[in-house]
Amino acid sequence: MRKTRIAAVATALTAVIALAGCSGSADEAPTAGAIPTDEPITLTVWSWDGTVEAAVPGFEKKYPNITVDVVNAGSSTDEYTALDNAIQAGSGVPDIAMFEYFVLPFFAIPGKLTDLSVYGADELGKDYVEAAWGEVNIDGAPYALPSDYGPAAMFYNQKVLAEAGVEEPPATWDEFYEAAKKVRALGGDHYITNDSADIFLLLSLIWESGGRPFQVEGTDVKIDFTDEGTARAVEYWQRMLDEDLINTKITGWSDDWNRGLNDGTLATQLIGGWFTSTLPERAPDAAGDFRIAELPQWEEGERSGAENGGSAMAIPADAPNKDAAYAFLEYFTHGEGLQARIDEGAFVPTLSFLEDEAFLASTNEFFGDQAYNEVLASASKNVGTGWQYPPFFSWARSSYEDLSAPLYNSGEGTLAELLETWRERMTEYGNEQGFAVS
Amino acid sequence: MTLQTTSPLRRKRRPTTGLLFLAPFGLLFIFVFIIPILYSAYISLFQNKLIGGQSFVGLDNYVRLFKDPQFYDGAIRVVVFTAIQVPIMLLCAILLALAVDSLRLHGTRFFRIVVFLPYAVPAIVSTLMWGFMLGIRYGLIGNLNDALGTRFDPFAPETTMASIGIMVTWGFTGYNMLIFYAALRAIPRELYEAAAIDGATEMQVVRNIKLPALRGSLTVTVIFSIIGTFQLFNEPNILSSLVSNSGITSYYTPNLYAYTLAFTGSQQGYAAALALVMAAFTIVIAYIVQIRGMKNAFDK
Amino acid sequence: MLSTSSRAARRPTLHTVENPRKSPLMTFFVGLFALYCLLPMVWLLINATKSQTDFVSTFGLAFGGELALWDNIVGVFTFQDGIFARWLLNTVMYVVVGALVSTFLAALGGYALAKHNFFGKKAFLLVVLGSISVPGIALAIPQFLLFAQMGLTNTPWAVLIPSFINPFGLYLMWVYSSDAVPNALIEAARIDGAKEFRIFWQIALPMLAPATVTVLLFSFVSIWNNYFLPLIMLKDPAWYPLTIGINQWNKLGSTAGNGELIQNLVITASLITIVPLIIAFLCLQRYWQSGLALGAVKD
Repeated sequence: MRKTRIAAVATALTAVIALAGCSGSADEAPTAGAIPTDEPITLTVWSWDGTVEAAVPGFEKKYPNITVDVVNAGSSTDEYTALDNAIQAGSGVPDIAMFEYFVLPFFAIPGKLTDLSVYGADELGKDYVEAAWGEVNIDGAPYALPSDYGPAAMFYNQKVLAEAGVEEPPATWDEFYEAAKKVRALGGDHYITNDSADIFLLLSLIWESGGRPFQVEGTDVKIDFTDEGTARAVEYWQRMLDEDLINTKITGWSDDWNRGLNDGTLATQLIGGWFTSTLPERAPDAAGDFRIAELPQWEEGERSGAENGGSAMAIPADAPNKDAAYAFLEYFTHGEGLQARIDEGAFVPTLSFLEDEAFLASTNEFFGDQAYNEVLASASKNVGTGWQYPPFFSWARSSYEDLSAPLYNSGEGTLAELLETWRERMTEYGNEQGFAVS
Repeated sequence: MTLQTTSPLRRKRRPTTGLLFLAPFGLLFIFVFIIPILYSAYISLFQNKLIGGQSFVGLDNYVRLFKDPQFYDGAIRVVVFTAIQVPIMLLCAILLALAVDSLRLHGTRFFRIVVFLPYAVPAIVSTLMWGFMLGIRYGLIGNLNDALGTRFDPFAPETTMASIGIMVTWGFTGYNMLIFYAALRAIPRELYEAAAIDGATEMQVVRNIKLPALRGSLTVTVIFSIIGTFQLFNEPNILSSLVSNSGITSYYTPNLYAYTLAFTGSQQGYAAALALVMAAFTIVIAYIVQIRGMKNAFDK
Repeated sequence: MLSTSSRAARRPTLHTVENPRKSPLMTFFVGLFALYCLLPMVWLLINATKSQTDFVSTFGLAFGGELALWDNIVGVFTFQDGIFARWLLNTVMYVVVGALVSTFLAALGGYALAKHNFFGKKAFLLVVLGSISVPGIALAIPQFLLFAQMGLTNTPWAVLIPSFINPFGLYLMWVYSSDAVPNALIEAARIDGAKEFRIFWQIALPMLAPATVTVLLFSFVSIWNNYFLPLIMLKDPAWYPLTIGINQWNKLGSTAGNGELIQNLVITASLITIVPLIIAFLCLQRYWQSGLALGAVKD
């Protein structure tokens, strides 16, 4: 890492923090202290990931004076709102909180998270999937540790595809296009997949194609949807929409979506690898029919990937017990606590895990006899690096949903136009919010 | 509305007793309402930036609000919705109250409970239920469509408001019905006996005794229905994640817009300004209705 | 309809004075409306009997392959270490304390507004009524910050204290006190030397019973279904009321990620949530038999 750059950015960041006047001790440089072993400490961990709980007993045994309280303070946005409120009020801030990768800049840039390099976290980079590590580093410093990961993969219903005459899972996007037409020809409500303005789906396609629409450096944000990689993905998806090959009437995570996967009218899902644990409960009738493959490629023989979801854990700047918090944080995202979580079904982006033979060989009867983890491990390592989210992505996402209605409801406009309008909105909002967006 | 009769209570009674009685409510009210709303007004004079924190901008938020097309979109929608949904709901409530009061129903007590039940159901539960009922793929409407060969979609952008209207009416008719029914029950029997002596028909009784008796409750229910409907939030909020392509945006109603601004967009000052403007607007409308209601009570 | 009874000795009867002829037509139309009200509940009941697998695979109004109602109920009470029972108790506590205190304060205040004279009465009433028009969102964040300053967030007080204020209840009690409590009675008691509070407690309050019960019931329902403010105030699931808990369970399966899909538990929990309200209504409804005057009746 370029040390002089870190120093410069750290100074700038400190200035920003001072200006922002955020409450709390962000203005003192954090120092790593030894964890006190005599006084009882209670750590509060906010996580909607159920596997974190599994790491608690081992940790509490190691540090008998520490009690870990894992609380579900809401899923995703609900938790981020709660955290922001708590920080603003100066009370109720947890020691560790869970963040999806895209929201880390939102909290890190205004200084609401602890820079973990003071604990030596910057040394841990080599143990993680490169792309995941890239996302927890904001302006060169690690603000979180990756906790789970979602390499984008294609989950496909083999039986339905076979019925449609598609014997092998599509390996390129051209093949995917052909397969889509065949599935559609099955009639009724059969589609190869659904998309109801799912920004993460579109971004994962752009990501895989090499597009990097967002470039963030400190508070400078550049947005551009016209670079080659982005344009390629956008054109492709536009064609799929135009030819009615995508079901635009089903929203992911809704009841209809569950049923569509269950009865086979949705033949595939282009989604993150973590989907393995929840798909079986959503599509019980399709047990044994689903398989997993890497995302179709743009060129035959290429190996590139993208991410669709995943989360990291960070320590808020106002956390009450930072030293103890880091001990637990490292324990369950990097250290001995990982195994307990993996046994519960977590998919973690540590290289040791992805190369573990037992893991790679495991099968699940829902996916037939496929050693699907090999696919996912390979997909994880292929995820393209250099991706960044803008710091106001939560807002941008809801803005995208508003803007996409005419296109997805009534076919007005094109995806490219939609992205351009979105870019304009984001530029306006970002500048208003104090960033320098261009 | 009954006017406060100036009762001949002797003034030398310590006037502070009344204040003392009111004090518990009053003090809590100040704490729970007055202080927050003053603080809210204070916040509305500031702008919040992710980088740069809070800065004083005076009335800028209000100026911006009046030029904001998303605000008008939501506000107009909510006004139109209220103008249609409230009369329909209250008409149903009155008819039901009259029907129940007439004792000409089989199973009066059963109907009374059943009609009130929807009010007792929390919004999250009722939206789930209606989301299913009105689903076009796996819901009841889907089945109806198949049976009749139609392609009706209750959650297309054109029809979403109507569907929300169905849900809101479902939830609140019973509540309003009870208010009307209580008023009807309080009509003194002598009036009916006098009408019987005069040989009045049932229709005449309804028109001359029952309906006038409902005037006061009608004013009350209209006002509170308007206030409640202007604040429409739960249904659009929950539906937006249940159904796709419904046209529900993050600024669909003013309350939803304020929520998005405050919690997703980190623009709390602007959200506070929006909420206060809506509150003022609601109060004005409620006041106008109140005046008209009182006027009607006067020229009987 | 004048009932042409052959027992001509009676006066011509009117429908509310005597048992009138039942109208099948009217029953039919009201029945349609009742169907409209009941259908979603029927859906709730049917789906509470299905397991998760059946729920996803079967049509909404059909029963599943197995009757899983008991399993679902057990599931609801054991999921996440039995936190549902805690939520149930929390809600009962919030409601009982909140409804009782808020109704009492509303009665006390409404009576004072109706029967006592003091400075600023009109203004106070106007402000209180105006407060109903203010969207909750305008108050939520300031209330949160205020309560946080006092260390009350994440405690039951954060839910209870705001619930003690019932502006609509105050209004109802004011109107009803004006109408139903005769001044003469109060005067007589004063002449006898009774203290003001005693007059309120022993004379006025019993006469206000139907209104008090109405306010109690509406307040019960409103606190039971309270969602927005507790959502912001509480972050510790141990203090959640049922609405927030159920919503959180629902969000588990409907947000991207690895949350569990427990639609069957959400539905069964919703059913369980409604039952106490129905019971409360059934118990309190006889008060409506005894003439209730809300708003203007005698003009």
